[in-house]
Amino acid sequence: MKIAFTATGPTWESLVDPRFGRTEYIVLFDEEIDLITVVDNRSVSNEAHGAGTATAQKMYELKPDILITGNGPGDTAAQALKHLKMRIFVDAHDMTLAKAYDAYTKGKLREI
Amino acid sequence: MPSDIHKEIVVLSGKGGTGKTSVTASLAVIAGNSAVVADCDVDAANMHLLLQPDFGQTVEFYSGQLAELDQELCTRCGICADICRFNAIPFHEDQYRISSLDCEGCGYCAQVCPTGAITMKERRSGNLYTSRTKAGSTMVHARLDIAAENSGKLVARVKNDAKAIAKSENKQFIIVDGSPGIGCPVVSSLAGACYVLLVTEPTMSALHDLKRVYAVIKRFRIPAGCLINKYDLNEEKSAEIRQFLKEEQIDHLADIPFDPIFSSAMIEQKTIVEVSLPLKHLMEEIWDRINTRLNTKKEAI
Repeated sequence: MKIAFTATGPTWESLVDPRFGRTEYIVLFDEEIDLITVVDNRSVSNEAHGAGTATAQKMYELKPDILITGNGPGDTAAQALKHLKMRIFVDAHDMTLAKAYDAYTKGKLREI
Repeated sequence: MPSDIHKEIVVLSGKGGTGKTSVTASLAVIAGNSAVVADCDVDAANMHLLLQPDFGQTVEFYSGQLAELDQELCTRCGICADICRFNAIPFHEDQYRISSLDCEGCGYCAQVCPTGAITMKERRSGNLYTSRTKAGSTMVHARLDIAAENSGKLVARVKNDAKAIAKSENKQFIIVDGSPGIGCPVVSSLAGACYVLLVTEPTMSALHDLKRVYAVIKRFRIPAGCLINKYDLNEEKSAEIRQFLKEEQIDHLADIPFDPIFSSAMIEQKTIVEVSLPLKHLMEEIWDRINTRLNTKKEAI
């Protein structure tokens, strides 16, 4: 599974960002090959408007199987994500990515 | 769910003019030094009138883009002026000029200019302030330049600064005055919020906009409470609002009767809790209820 986190920093110990569109980083964890990659999303979080759809566009490019985030995407971004076969887990903000991943593997995160 | 270090309360109304800022400023006075106040209603920032911050620290804020035309490179061909949908490049005294009030920053002119005379620059959209209010709290607020607009980006910045202060000064609360409507700034103001306080009034448009803004809040699964301001001006509509709150399981926090003190306090640059004892007690009660709700809410996993 390829798991994407919205993250406030580029490390495994960073906090999950509650925001989808304006998340500063997207951290990808590929479970199969045990590899973490970091996508700097600050150019999007610095846009005045349209951050949600721009980050949704990135999800299409990155194609994760799972997204772990906080509040979850807003209306417009959610519509854009509909056609992507990606499961979305929410309410992970204020956990570190490590903790959120742990919670996810134990089935403790809420799916929307 | 958001950290236990500080709780973030966002005040929204959907419709403007329901008394949202009067309520927010009152709560800020009651919370005093335990809270950081963030004015995210930047299009019509007015909380400073009531809380009288000292505009202690100022930084410039940049958002969006603005076209800049180099007269040396311009051949006066006029292609840019023709394609600009905002008529932002008038010809005046033998020169094309960018009207910064009209330019929307789309960048079309820079694309079509055959000599590369137009470049897109970051637009200064206003100032961001960190202040001390008369209630002793720290307040983060902004003042936009003429024709500059609020944005999700600016709200995110105001909130991030408020969060950093709450963390470093070990504050219990962040009280956020949100924008009217349901657009980008509202969505941005909701990120990471623990509770949304809705301020409404018994009018058809207020109920309509309340429903719209609640749809956004519901999407983000943030608990919400509502107070009906001026409830006695239309009892029938107030009953309809209460019914909606019940159906959606929104906490019905209080009904506030119509009171001209809201306006007279504002004229004196004071919050209602400073000029009316009954309103002070009522607002304290509302603040207590919100706190009880924050402390009893289900903990996230």
